[in-house]
Amino acid sequence: MTASSRQLMLDRIRAATTAEANQYEDIARGYIQTGTLDAQRRIELMTERLREYGAEVSECSPAELPDTIAHQLQVSGRDHFVVPPGLPPEWFGGGEDCNLDENLTHEEIEQCGGVVTAASAGISDSGTIVLHHGPGEGRRVISLLPDFHLCILRASQIVETLPEYFGLFPQPPRLATYISGPSATADIEMTRIKGVHGPRFLSVIIVRDDA
Amino acid sequence: VSGPVMDPRIAPPFPEAALPILQNTQLRKNVAHATDVIQAKRNRLVAEKQDWQELRNSASAIRAHVLANLATYLEQFETKCTAAGGVVHWAKDAAEARSIILDILREENAIEVIKIKTMTSAEIQLNPALTAAGISAIETDLAELILQLGDDEPSHIVVPALHVNRRQVREIFARRMGLPELPDDPEALTAAARTYLRKKFLSVPTAISGANFLIAETGSVAIVESEGNGRMCLTLPRTLITLAGIEKVLPRFSDLEVLLQVLARSATGERLNPYNSLWSGVVPGDGPQQFHVVLLDNGRSEILSRKVERQTLKCIRCAACLNTCPVYRQTGGHAYGSPYAGPIGAILTPQLEHMQHGQSLPYASSLCGACYEVCPVKINIPEVLIDLRAKVVDQERAQPRRWTDPMYMGMKAANFAFASASRFRLAQWMGRLGLRFFTDRDGWIRKLPNLGARWTLSRDLPGLPDQTFRHWWTQRESGSSALRERKSR
Repeated sequence: MTASSRQLMLDRIRAATTAEANQYEDIARGYIQTGTLDAQRRIELMTERLREYGAEVSECSPAELPDTIAHQLQVSGRDHFVVPPGLPPEWFGGGEDCNLDENLTHEEIEQCGGVVTAASAGISDSGTIVLHHGPGEGRRVISLLPDFHLCILRASQIVETLPEYFGLFPQPPRLATYISGPSATADIEMTRIKGVHGPRFLSVIIVRDDA
Repeated sequence: VSGPVMDPRIAPPFPEAALPILQNTQLRKNVAHATDVIQAKRNRLVAEKQDWQELRNSASAIRAHVLANLATYLEQFETKCTAAGGVVHWAKDAAEARSIILDILREENAIEVIKIKTMTSAEIQLNPALTAAGISAIETDLAELILQLGDDEPSHIVVPALHVNRRQVREIFARRMGLPELPDDPEALTAAARTYLRKKFLSVPTAISGANFLIAETGSVAIVESEGNGRMCLTLPRTLITLAGIEKVLPRFSDLEVLLQVLARSATGERLNPYNSLWSGVVPGDGPQQFHVVLLDNGRSEILSRKVERQTLKCIRCAACLNTCPVYRQTGGHAYGSPYAGPIGAILTPQLEHMQHGQSLPYASSLCGACYEVCPVKINIPEVLIDLRAKVVDQERAQPRRWTDPMYMGMKAANFAFASASRFRLAQWMGRLGLRFFTDRDGWIRKLPNLGARWTLSRDLPGLPDQTFRHWWTQRESGSSALRERKSR
């Protein structure tokens, strides 16, 4: 039945759109593709946007990263952090209560107080963190169930506009999550409430590898 | 009291459904507040975007391009999605889509499914079919959960429970979740929903979603949301079924750079939605290991074949046209008797019903054009409304009851009279004679019988002047030629 429906639908569609010359290349693209901010201002904008959404933002040099991670985990007031297997071990001093995600069950991840991940890109115009869920960012579930997400973003990964992000990845990822602020709803009387189902607390460390 | 009817095949006509709603001051207050808030946010973020019109132009061009090449892109999507481990199904109508989904669920031995808010699911009336098959559908979007637990119906495409206020939500949650002490602040209500749903997310192995975009280039699906219930449903279950209208395709991954920007700003007044998820088929070790996409036609290929109406399918369901519509802002969504309300619903619903139902909807508009102005993909909704009105009139003209309809007979008579100069003169003369009985001394008509009373009930009508224009013109002509003659002498 489905096979014939497929043919029926495609035939109908073809009959409706017969002989139309409409080339992809002819689509006008007059919108802003490239940003105009210098590196410093771009990072400031990223920080500003993240804070607007209620995320915590801190900055550090590459050398300071382990200490900064330890500090952020400590001030989060939580314990039991899940980390993806691909994060560089030298980011952690060893004192942190970290659980490597080697096929942890959903229940085990749910029991964790937080998660530490890297990121694939940052978009300052919208304060967006991009995860492509590679080894340093981990499976989707680990950055979803815990209530606290500490995300490490290198300054050199931050672009200004959304089109610039797409320019960075001509090879599309198989998985992507774009996070622009913590989980939120405005379903009750349009009052914005932070934290419905995803992590309620997002903390971002911007590593100044651009200096 | 029965709830609102959201099935266009059995819903009452718009004016009839709107009447009781217009008397519900609480509902109107809730709708006005919500649409004001979204519009203010949207307007602020559109104003800050220097290239807004360029983005709209490109978004419109991309969507039009997709529709002109739809078969090619659907086949490409199918090939890529299948290669990535997904299973693609084709459903020509609502009944076939329901049966495909039910077959998958039976194979899974599903007794419960978790759902992301899905317009197409409401369009095909999926939830009643699931219930009938003994499967309980759990809506996980906060607004949809409020409505499901409150036995209510959605009234907006993006914020479906905008007609319900916090006290009403508290009452529903307290009753249905067994929480008598629950306070009515939104924070506590949201926390209650979080706890209630978390158990479901972790235990129910099957999920149903819609799609914001299908990417032909990669075979992936994109979903935008803000709560995280979408991410839960897309990540935790074993099996995922995505139900998507065939028009949802985009050519390339990078086309999202346009559509995500215009969608977020138009829908919720944000630069980007808090969460955007994108996945291709089945990814080993991450997320559902069974993935089905159901491509739904249900009248869409027919819309595609009509020149003026095709643009209806460019829609990306941002609901900006609802928030700005002076009609929607008075009635909310229930009066439209369809999951698709507002201006876009007024053109989409009757077309999805093959113009057999929902014919009152193209008239639920003042044709002010505000919907066209805010539309991020530049659908000329007023143009389509007028075209659909013409189709409705054609339908009425073909019905036998036209011979007893005074409006139709009047129009017929006018048509006959206006078609010839002598008949027109005669009609004018008779009209003047007839109206003399109803004209007051000061030259105004205040009370007409029968159909004419519809006018004079609320307005006065100036009486006909002593002289017609034609009469005056003839006199003036002869007068002026007499003048010319005198001068030339």
